[in-house]
Amino acid sequence: MEAVFLDYVLPCVCAFLACVGFTLIFNIHGCFGKLIAGVGGALGWLVYLLAGSTIFAAFLAAAAIGVFGEVMSRVRRCPVTGYVLVALLPLVPGGGIYYAMRHCVAGETEPFLNTLLRTFGMAAALAVGAMLASSVFRALFPRLRRHGKRSP
Amino acid sequence: MDYEKLLNMAAELGYQLMYSGAEIYRVEESVQRLLHAYGLERPEVFAIPNCVIVSVTTPEGHPITRMRRVPAHGTDIELLEHCNALCRRLCAEAPPLDEAQARTAALPEETPRHSPRWMLLGYGVAPAFFAPLFGGGLWDTVSAFLCGLAVGACLLYGGRFIGANSFFRTALCSALAALLAMLLVKAGVGRSVDVVTISALMVLVPGMALTNAMREIMAGDTFSALSRTADAILAASAIALGAAAGQALGGLF
Repeated sequence: MEAVFLDYVLPCVCAFLACVGFTLIFNIHGCFGKLIAGVGGALGWLVYLLAGSTIFAAFLAAAAIGVFGEVMSRVRRCPVTGYVLVALLPLVPGGGIYYAMRHCVAGETEPFLNTLLRTFGMAAALAVGAMLASSVFRALFPRLRRHGKRSP
Repeated sequence: MDYEKLLNMAAELGYQLMYSGAEIYRVEESVQRLLHAYGLERPEVFAIPNCVIVSVTTPEGHPITRMRRVPAHGTDIELLEHCNALCRRLCAEAPPLDEAQARTAALPEETPRHSPRWMLLGYGVAPAFFAPLFGGGLWDTVSAFLCGLAVGACLLYGGRFIGANSFFRTALCSALAALLAMLLVKAGVGRSVDVVTISALMVLVPGMALTNAMREIMAGDTFSALSRTADAILAASAIALGAAAGQALGGLF
C-alpha cells in the first residue's frame, strides 16, 4: 500500500501541483481552468508511469491527455487547447536536454548522441501523441463536436 | 460601410489573437469568419508567427490590404479565450463598426492578468514539484523552489538589464539556475545537482513552442511550423549552453 502511494500517488499529486504552478505563468484564470490543467498533468504522468517511462509511454500519456482535453472541451463547451498544452509540460524532456549537454561538455560523443536522439524522440512522441489522439477522437465523435463548440 | 475601419478592426483582432499565442489556423479562420459576418465575399488572410496580413475587396472592386507586425510574444491563454469569445460574439451579432472597434481595442486591458508576485510564485512552485518527479527528496524540492524563484525574478524584473533577445535571456536564466543549484548543493541544502538543475530548467524548456510547431504541421501550415521548430531548437540550445556555462562557473568555487 505504501509502495503504491510512493510510486504512483505522490508523483501524480506533484505533477498536479506543478501544472497548477504553470497555469500562473501562462495566465490561466478561474478554478476550472486550473483544475483541468492540473488533472490533465496528473493523468498524463500516471499513464507515463504505468506504461513504463519509455518513449512509447510518453506517446500513450500524450494521447491520454489529448483525449482528456477533447472530453473536457465537450464538458466545458469551449476549446481547452491551452490547458492541454500546460498538461503536457511535465512530460517535456528537460532532463534529456540537460544530460545531453553534460555528455557533450564531457566530450562523450556516443552517450551524447544517444541522449540527444532520445530527447528528440520524446518530444516528437509527445506532440504526435496529443495531436493524433484529439484528431481521432474528433473523427469518431463528430456529432458531439457540434454540441460542444457553438460556432466551430 | 466603412471598409477601412472594418479592415482595421479585423487586423487588430488578428493581431491580438496572434499575440496571445493562438495557432495559425485559428487566427486565419477567425478573421475570415469575422469579415464574412460583415458581408465581405472573399476576404484573404495570411498569418505567420510574427506577421498578420488581411486583404479585402470592397463590393466596388477596390482592394485594400492591412499588415500588422507581431512582436516576439509568449503565451497568454486568458487573452486567447477572450479574443475567441469576442470573435464569436461579433460574428453572431455583427454590431456597428464603432462598437466592435471599441470592444476589440479594449481587449488587452479587459483581460485579467496575474500580478507579478503570483507569477513569481508560479515560477517557484512549478520547479519545486518537478523535483520529486525526477527522483529528488524534500531538500531538493526546497532548492528547486529557490532556483525557480531566481529564474522567475530574472525573467519578470530583469528585462531592463538583460534586454529583449530571447536566446540570450534564456541562456542567462539557465546559467543562473545551474549556478544556484550547484551552490545550494555545495552549501548542503540540496542533495543532487542534476535533479535540482533539471527541475529549475523545466520552466525554460520550450514545451509550448514545440507542441505548437507540431500542431501547425498537422494543420498544414508548414512555414509557421518550421519557424516555430527553429524557435524551439534555439531555445533548447540556449538552455544547454547556459547550463554548461553556469556549471563551469559553479565548479570554480
